Amino acid sequence: MVVATPRRLTLDDILVVDADVHVHETPDELAPYMDPEWRPAMENLRQVARRYLDMPGFGPNNAPRLPGTSLPSPRGGRVEIVWTAEQMRRELDEFSIDVGVIFPDHFLKLAALPNAAYATAITRAYHRWLKEKWLHAGNDLYATIMAIPQDPEESVREIERWADDERFVGIYLPTHQVYPIWGHRKYDPIYEVAQRHDLPVLLHAVSGIASGFPYNVEQFYTSITAHTVSHVFAMMSNLMSIMETGVPVRYPNLRIGFIEAGLTWVPFLRMRLDKEYNENRHQWPHFDDRPSRWIRKFYFGTQPVEEPENRQDLVDIIRIYDGEDTTVFATDWPHHDFDHPRAVFDLPVSNQVKRKLLGTNAMKLMPRIKVPAKYR
Amino acid sequence: MAEYVVARADELKPGDRKLVAVGRIQVVLFRVGDAYHALPNICPHQFGPICEGKITGAIMANADTGWEPGWFHDGEVLVCPWHGLEFRITTGQCLAYPNVRLRQYPVIVDGDDVKIAL
Ligand code: FES
Repeated sequence: MVVATPRRLTLDDILVVDADVHVHETPDELAPYMDPEWRPAMENLRQVARRYLDMPGFGPNNAPRLPGTSLPSPRGGRVEIVWTAEQMRRELDEFSIDVGVIFPDHFLKLAALPNAAYATAITRAYHRWLKEKWLHAGNDLYATIMAIPQDPEESVREIERWADDERFVGIYLPTHQVYPIWGHRKYDPIYEVAQRHDLPVLLHAVSGIASGFPYNVEQFYTSITAHTVSHVFAMMSNLMSIMETGVPVRYPNLRIGFIEAGLTWVPFLRMRLDKEYNENRHQWPHFDDRPSRWIRKFYFGTQPVEEPENRQDLVDIIRIYDGEDTTVFATDWPHHDFDHPRAVFDLPVSNQVKRKLLGTNAMKLMPRIKVPAKYR
Repeated sequence: MAEYVVARADELKPGDRKLVAVGRIQVVLFRVGDAYHALPNICPHQFGPICEGKITGAIMANADTGWEPGWFHDGEVLVCPWHGLEFRITTGQCLAYPNVRLRQYPVIVDGDDVKIAL
């Protein structure tokens, strides 16, 4: 008698949503989409030497270029840029990724631009460019609306402009050099509009470093040091700031996600914070239970996913922060530290949990994403 | 359940407290306004001597206060002297954790005697 053995689950069998892919916005690309008064400024930027995620007036990296951070990597070779929607689709297909959620490249550093009107102008151009060049019918690419921390009122107007467009599935909060950090009450209108439109806010870290941000990492002279902690420090301070002013209590239906800092910092922060709360409840009088009860509702992007010798350790970490339903896969494609979906798919968890981590959790975080034709 | 006389009826003024030992159990008798409350002298956190804590009110914030800090339960909050957990004397409820509550012993005023039941 022949007994059919069930085929092993593969990445192609499950819906894979990538919560973080990057498109390459350049002054050339954006100039035609700028409002007339700012178009000359953008055209001027065409003269500036191109440097990856490091362009004055566009994606400023205010840290000095040190030998340790600017030495060419022996990796060499691969150009870590996606230029077109077709290229993105092709490359995600090669990774068995069904849906991609777009974040920018240079504008990971949007918050470092000192001129609010200019930051607003490039944000407006960026959204028009996304709509026209990236969000084509049926390509299963979605975008995030970029918030403008320099001018929350203007940011709300810009969010309203795109909030009804079904291809914008969240609001991206830049964290690099953001001042003040995201808990400040001046940002309340952004949280209010996000909650009203049922759009999650997604804080995205980047390793750009500058004096004092995030916290002395500019003193390191190799990128391994800075890159190990800078995303994490930025996320921790912003998470704490959001908790300090009670954002999750005051906006109980708002979904909040933290993208590109990995996962292992989450249990640490939760446990430290709960311990502090035990003594200092009166300082955070908006909470009536241990703070981790609220952090438990936050979402966390996997990338750069930790790869401990014993894979089970990461599964345990996810359990410790109650992350089975709130952890969302992300590649960070095409950046140098991207993760292939296998890095998460191969974790020692049940098939049901694999489906959650790789796809269905992201659908809960960003419910506007439509299930791709293949799975309907 | 046995009743134990722990104070005279004229002994505690509003805001006062008295530590009493009933067998091996330490109990704190509080008078808040005209009412008596009896709580164990042991903090559920790390077993601090809660009886020695300050009696005060508490800062809280909620939708009714517009999420601004407000002063609540004046004279009804006991603060553990070790790490500062706050408890409402009138209910035993811990303000930091909804699922933590001090045990409350029944208090009976019987003529000149204040008794607790254990
Ligand atoms: S023992 Fe009471 S708060 Fe720690």
